[in-house]
Amino acid sequence: MATTTPVLTTGIGELNLRDIDVYKAQGGYAQFERALRELSPEDVVKLTDTSVLRGRGGAGFPTGRKWQFLPKNGEPRYLVCNCDEAEPGTFKDHQLLEETPHQIIEGIALGSYAIGCRHAFIYIRGEFKRGYEIFCAAIAQARAAGYLGKGIFGSGFDLEITVHRGAGAYICGEETALLNSLEGRRGEPRLKPPFPAVKGLYQKPTVVNNVETLAYLPYILKNGPDWFKAVGTERSTGYKVVSISGHVKKPGNYEIPLGTTIREMIELAGGMREGRKCIAVQPGGGSSACLFEEHLDLPYEYESLAKAGTMLGSGAMVVFDEQTDFVKAAHALVRFFAHESCGQCTPCREGGHWLEETLERLLGGEGLDSDIDILKTASHQLTGINLCPLGDSIEPFLGSVVHRFEDQFRGYLRPRVAAGAAR
Amino acid sequence: MSSADVSESTTPSAVDFRALLERLRPELEAIVAQYEEPRSALLPLMHRFQQEEGFVSREAMATAAEMLELTPAVVESVVSFYTLFFRKPVGKYMLQVCRGLSCVIDDAETIMAYFRKALGIGHLQTTEDGVFSYEEVECLAACDRATCMQVNLEFVYDLTPQMIDEMIAAMRSGTYPVPPLAQTRKPEKTWKVPRDVRGKSAGAQGVTNPNDPGGVGDRSGVIMLERFAQERWLQGRSRERMVSDAGEWLATNAKEKKEH
Repeated sequence: MATTTPVLTTGIGELNLRDIDVYKAQGGYAQFERALRELSPEDVVKLTDTSVLRGRGGAGFPTGRKWQFLPKNGEPRYLVCNCDEAEPGTFKDHQLLEETPHQIIEGIALGSYAIGCRHAFIYIRGEFKRGYEIFCAAIAQARAAGYLGKGIFGSGFDLEITVHRGAGAYICGEETALLNSLEGRRGEPRLKPPFPAVKGLYQKPTVVNNVETLAYLPYILKNGPDWFKAVGTERSTGYKVVSISGHVKKPGNYEIPLGTTIREMIELAGGMREGRKCIAVQPGGGSSACLFEEHLDLPYEYESLAKAGTMLGSGAMVVFDEQTDFVKAAHALVRFFAHESCGQCTPCREGGHWLEETLERLLGGEGLDSDIDILKTASHQLTGINLCPLGDSIEPFLGSVVHRFEDQFRGYLRPRVAAGAAR
Repeated sequence: MSSADVSESTTPSAVDFRALLERLRPELEAIVAQYEEPRSALLPLMHRFQQEEGFVSREAMATAAEMLELTPAVVESVVSFYTLFFRKPVGKYMLQVCRGLSCVIDDAETIMAYFRKALGIGHLQTTEDGVFSYEEVECLAACDRATCMQVNLEFVYDLTPQMIDEMIAAMRSGTYPVPPLAQTRKPEKTWKVPRDVRGKSAGAQGVTNPNDPGGVGDRSGVIMLERFAQERWLQGRSRERMVSDAGEWLATNAKEKKEH
């Protein structure tokens, strides 16, 4: 039986970790102080690199290596913490932001120290108004306690953190769109290269890291990279906060060692509701393809999921029971991506609406036989031909369920009355 | 908050923009000073004005343009990109119900239908008395407590029809704990500008099949499909199948064919 291993989620629901004194009593900010006194920035980069901490936002890129892409010298350089969480099914950053803001501040401070950034930013999703207020209060506390400002603890290291609030656009979670939005522009992704490490915010070298990634830094410094590497698999090390929702008894955030099987994770979330059966799982947020009954014993880690044709993504697992209407589920996701497309690339802008319209026609009982083929072959005309991954994210869930549950989709082709009578 | 404030919504007090600007100016300048490049302050400035006026007014956009040395058109292009900026007045309570995947599989449809019936309005609309605006929004990142919503950006979780009734009654009587939005002008039926409502491009409207543009624009795709259709081995397939099957066949067999 798997258990959760609280690291980032320690004390949530028990302690008021929004208070800096409570956080400090738990050992908070000790690693930042230690780093300033004993470690060079290179040491912090090396420790992070050795731990193989992979980005927890979706792409899973190793954090230490990302930092090393920055040019060796030259200022200014920026660290931007990505808290624009909007991937359907994901709610981990939301909880971390509201419950343990100081952990995030310490992570940003350590990351900034490692890359030599003196002005860091956190981009918070516009809808998280409450989280924004909590975080601003935490920043004020940290500044009063001397963790932010000039010459922190006489070390010659200066740091300011600016809290920036978005205004409702999923695409701003994509790092270059986020940078554009932070510059006061429309949140449209940039053409890459140049990557942000070379030309990012204000055309200066920039690193964009997810909230959860940065929050792990204090613990990696405290316990050492070997502690982090001891769990998980060789290339997917450490712990991960997974948002489990859908038809389980106790949906919520569960911090697990990577490599836990999907079946064990469903057990952690209280199992299926009312003795129902799990027939599908979307393992990595709205952009990922579905897995089915035969995949339930897969270990939840980057490589296994990629091999199964899907991805770990942001770590949001939506669980479906046998009563799910996958046509409606696919429609909800396609509508989401069609709505959130920034409109720069034609396949994404037009394709999303085509699919949405086709699914609406199907749901309205006016579907054509060829509509099933449109849905099944859409990836040919959508995937791999857009500036950013949003266009490629429209189809995977739809494609996986339309192949698996074609009967459900075909069921909508018949007049609604007949379908009702058949049941 | 007395009950009188909410029911007075039909006569919102107009804002003296110049006085408002005088009052806010030190705060706005502090926001701009946070950034290496002033333009970064655009979103925070718009949030601040919207907080005061209840929506982003023309005056607010013009002021931001002046402060940040941008043209008003640039400011409007940015503001129109983001769904949380309202370019027209909205109701005192912005009800945003989640229609994300986790909520949909937890029967968000029933909740949304209940809201529409209880308020007598639909998606993106405001009630005649200017108290409620209703929108169905994308995933709000609270899937563990589906179905969820936000009232003036404060979360409400685990919605039930009974909660909706109580919420609406409390808002009407002015006893709801979340403060109403500022309302400086009377809202219209919707706060969306028609041009903002996105969909398929104009040329594709009314066309049902993406592989059959029906004479609109470039016909090269149709010509290609017609040639595919003449290939005997592709006969009987739908147009979508023809595209994918012919593509696969070309990829694997084109080389062989050349050799023959």
